[in-house]
Amino acid sequence: MLSQSIWWASITLEVFLLARAIRGKLVFRYPVFYFYLSFIMFEDVISFVVYRWKPAFYSHTYWTTEFLCVLIGCGIVFEIYRVGLASFPGTARMARNILVVLFIVAAAKGMVAAANDHQWWLEAGTLELERTLRVMQAVCVAALVALFLFYSIPFGKNLRGILLGYGFFIGMRVITLTFFIGGSDASRQFWGYIYSASYLIALGVWCVHLWSYEASPAPRQTIQIERHYQHVAAATQRRLHEARAYVAKAVGS
Amino acid sequence: MIGIPTALLLGTVLLLLLLLMAARGSAAAREVSSRSDAPLFEEEAGLDLCPAEFVTRIFCPDDLEFVSNTGSRPLQELFRRERKLVALVWVHQTSIAIRRIMREHTQAARQSHDLHFLTETKLVLLYAELMLICGMLSLAIQAAGPQRVRGLAVYAGALSGRLAQAQHDFQAVTAGPEFRGARSS
Repeated sequence: MLSQSIWWASITLEVFLLARAIRGKLVFRYPVFYFYLSFIMFEDVISFVVYRWKPAFYSHTYWTTEFLCVLIGCGIVFEIYRVGLASFPGTARMARNILVVLFIVAAAKGMVAAANDHQWWLEAGTLELERTLRVMQAVCVAALVALFLFYSIPFGKNLRGILLGYGFFIGMRVITLTFFIGGSDASRQFWGYIYSASYLIALGVWCVHLWSYEASPAPRQTIQIERHYQHVAAATQRRLHEARAYVAKAVGS
Repeated sequence: MIGIPTALLLGTVLLLLLLLMAARGSAAAREVSSRSDAPLFEEEAGLDLCPAEFVTRIFCPDDLEFVSNTGSRPLQELFRRERKLVALVWVHQTSIAIRRIMREHTQAARQSHDLHFLTETKLVLLYAELMLICGMLSLAIQAAGPQRVRGLAVYAGALSGRLAQAQHDFQAVTAGPEFRGARSS
């Protein structure tokens, strides 16, 4: 009964969000996010139909659509990066570098783990595979949020809502999947509800923040320091090397 | 492939970062709207720290010895309490000044097209080191009193001074004729 209520509430909020987006033309400003939302709604309906009339195919349908959701979710992270940092090329460059570093670290870790445990890919269930992908997403979103905070990137209401809602959903998904995988049947039911509720909360956050379009506050000053930056960087680097030498001296004395 | 503690830690860190972002989001927007006409670097925006001699005095054991020689226990207690308070205020002011330097730097760097990743990373690490030192100093002062942490305090002050000098050089270069022209246009 509770899961049915959550299911119907989710579909209602999704329809509501999409209707608002079409009316306020938000759908053209954040196309990936709304495509994701449409796909989730499609997934909900398809899953419901299959569960009702072809329950034998439910698991296969669910995990196929869930995997596609994870992939489209990566597109949302890219959209947040693209829209949020459009006016901040310096921070965008930092974000690109950090994401590349994270990707290399994850790939290296994956290869080392695969080399140590050849059977992992065969033995790992869909839940464990999803958790691995969601953890990667969580790391990317966390890195972006940390950069946004460190560089004091201003957000419009819409983008902040998308990031808060999706980040919350990803964080909760990682936590619930972790407990779900290692839990008993009773605890699995509990964590299943928590997961559904977290998606409902994310939908609530999106409803509040995506009610109407609000542009991101871009700084009015356009600072043209790129011509000087190499020189500045060299001067700053030299000073920092001096400071580092000073540190070594201070620590050594 | 990913351990349970790692997954839980990452999920929790993400949620905490989002909480911080939700709290600071509106403040950042307000800051942009209020500061958009202000110059990026201000001449007076350097470290407004106490002179090094003063800092040395706060952490110097000479005054404590002098007060101890009076033999008055209430006076000694009062001195310790007051000196600890002054030391904590100094640490607080230092950390605020360091944060301001870094904020000015990030506000300039975030719009630069050819920002250098490694240089930025080094600055961030230095900033983190300074903030860590300030935090440790604060704890040490509260635990042991300022006189026992003199060496570390002088070191932190000099290091933040050097960061301020680096930022001042950055400011001097970006405030060149072309830069000023771009700003006034």
